[in-house]
Amino acid sequence: MNDATYSVKDAIKQLPTNIKQSFTRREAGTAEQEQAATVFGNLFLHLHPVRVHANALRPSYTMGLGLISFFLFLILVVSGILVMFYYTPSTELAYRNMKDLEFAVSFGIVLRNIHRWSAHAMVAMVFLHMCRVFYTGAYKAPREFNWVIGVCLLLVTLFLSFTGYLLPWDQLAFWAVTVGSNIASYMPWIGDKIRFLMLGGNEVGQMALLRFYVMHVALLPLVAVVLVGVHFWRIRKDGGLSRPTEE
Amino acid sequence: MQLARKEEIFAKDGNKTYSLMAIVEGESLHVERGPENTVQTWPHLMVRELLLFLVVLLAILGVSLLFNAPLEEAANPLHSTNPAKAPWYFVGIQELVSYSAFLGGILVPAAIVVGLLLLPYLDRSPKGIGVWFSADRKLANTLFTVFVVAMVVLIFIGQFLRGPNWIIRWPW
Repeated sequence: MNDATYSVKDAIKQLPTNIKQSFTRREAGTAEQEQAATVFGNLFLHLHPVRVHANALRPSYTMGLGLISFFLFLILVVSGILVMFYYTPSTELAYRNMKDLEFAVSFGIVLRNIHRWSAHAMVAMVFLHMCRVFYTGAYKAPREFNWVIGVCLLLVTLFLSFTGYLLPWDQLAFWAVTVGSNIASYMPWIGDKIRFLMLGGNEVGQMALLRFYVMHVALLPLVAVVLVGVHFWRIRKDGGLSRPTEE
Repeated sequence: MQLARKEEIFAKDGNKTYSLMAIVEGESLHVERGPENTVQTWPHLMVRELLLFLVVLLAILGVSLLFNAPLEEAANPLHSTNPAKAPWYFVGIQELVSYSAFLGGILVPAAIVVGLLLLPYLDRSPKGIGVWFSADRKLANTLFTVFVVAMVVLIFIGQFLRGPNWIIRWPW
């Protein structure tokens, strides 16, 4: 049997150290070991390798566009959840909720502004990120499939923005989505069916609002989170950010 | 960048002795940098990422305090706005639809998506990876630039030059 004595007095003395160690899963080491453990011992950071190539840090290379898109997505998730507390997906109430956000809720208008402008910015940033990847040839082998995932993410971003566009239920929203869904109906043979599926009817109404809402707050964000996870994981698996071959 | 590298030189450990063991032929001189020119993710990358997050958050907050998101009158299915425009990122497609429904609604969007998906499988040349506007990829860069400029021009026309009844007019 173990001869070590466990006294409560010692346990109390070592309490802060033990709590910290159990939380960080980390024991003391050299500065470099601790830096490494900060990354690989953390669920949220371990998508990063412990060491990265210096090229990945050049702002003039990536311009941080992918990261900016991801940060905008995070801001959109947080502000979106807050907006959800004040929103009802009903043709009777949706527009009134918007007015409440503007005039009754503390900082409601700022909250809505944050969500709206981040959404526009994200569409633009995702597109610019794609341009960066193209112009630096970063889609080439072995990163082909990550480019494909990226194209899917661009489409998901567009659909997220488009489904959110209807939710305020004002004239701008209503007619923009009417025009947008009409474009889908130009598809030969199945165009009208696709529009019916999208809108839950032949025109934009209560069913369309509910469908767009469910897509916007549940289905598409889930798809986006999964694809972003795979996208980041693939960066690492494909050998980190693209870089020129070393001299 | 210079600072980041300076901290990364593998410092001499006072408890160890060092001597020349062998001379190897290498492709590059590893002077003042770690193996393979890498740096620790924490702190060098993470600190930059956190800074960028703060910048993005501040920019969005600033814009949100200065400009209000548009909100028009309540939706009225009986009263269409004139012109009725799609969200700005689809306005380019809407502009094409105004020329031809099939061209704008089907052909061009499908060609763009399929083209983008197949791109890395069609362009197999490994030249020009990791370099902006590589001179080895003049054709690819030109084609892509034509695509981007066309998108921007179409969106600009649709968003700013189209007035009531989709008639061209000056934006002012």
